[in-house]
Amino acid sequence: MHIPDGLLNNNLAAGLLAGISIIFSYCLRRVYKITTTIPLTISENNKNIGVCTFGFFNTTNEYIQKLTIIAMWVFSSQMFNIPVQSKISAHLIGGVFTAVIVGPFAGFLVISSVLIIQSIFFSDGGVLALGANIFNMAFIGSFISYYIYKAIVNKNYYLAIFVASLFSVLSAAFFCLLELSISGVVYFSISFKNMMYLHLLVALLETIITLTLLWLLKFSYE
Amino acid sequence: MNKKAIVVLFPIFIVFFASLFSSKHPDTLETFAVNQGFEKQAKEIVLIFNDYNLPFINNQFLSSFCAGIIGLVLLYILYKTIKFFEK
Repeated sequence: MHIPDGLLNNNLAAGLLAGISIIFSYCLRRVYKITTTIPLTISENNKNIGVCTFGFFNTTNEYIQKLTIIAMWVFSSQMFNIPVQSKISAHLIGGVFTAVIVGPFAGFLVISSVLIIQSIFFSDGGVLALGANIFNMAFIGSFISYYIYKAIVNKNYYLAIFVASLFSVLSAAFFCLLELSISGVVYFSISFKNMMYLHLLVALLETIITLTLLWLLKFSYE
Repeated sequence: MNKKAIVVLFPIFIVFFASLFSSKHPDTLETFAVNQGFEKQAKEIVLIFNDYNLPFINNQFLSSFCAGIIGLVLLYILYKTIKFFEK
């Protein structure tokens, strides 16, 4: 779902880039704050994956080190394109996975950092479209999705992951379509059905991979 | 094997398998672009690791694997920089 350069209106791309820069710097400050307050906030509850903000990262020194590992997991998983239909492939976004593990602020930071590396070095997503890509996948796909997950997790963990993943992928696709239609590339009403249909299978794939990665990470740390 | 070592080695395994088995078919947004007829408006900027490949390695698997490892190293450097500015 990486939007390349040349599709978005320059004003929209620049506006999103400016807005995302502000959110990025705020999230970075929050992450730095978390690294200094973890020893104070740690409790038995937040050692358990799935019910916590900081996951199982319980010392100041380990926090950013483990954000690196999560970023590497997401980067490598995004490299793996899985066929979902004939002649169509899809890959993980990883927004819900990161947000569940490290919380919304660090989740936003991790997905943004992966998108920045992909766009600058691998031309996977445009450099000018970076603001739009970070907005769709890191802000909507990770930051906002975390609160969907948090609202449901007390009732059922698997349902929370499923709904958050579904929301993450479909809302990212929705905003992607909105940005393209504002830029005059497509007509929103005509393309909506096609966009949502294509991403429905991706959302199911996202749920399965997110649950698998969370299980693997939990297994590795227990 | 130490379980923490598994956590660190896991992305390398995924990059390895992605280099071997990753689908070459277009992703959902590319398919959407083809369906809606705007795929030619996208500007491809050619960078050194374009499309997760190194131009100076002829072997497809090795090229993709090395590009993936370079991506992991770049992320490591980025987070080392973030850690450096922590204090």
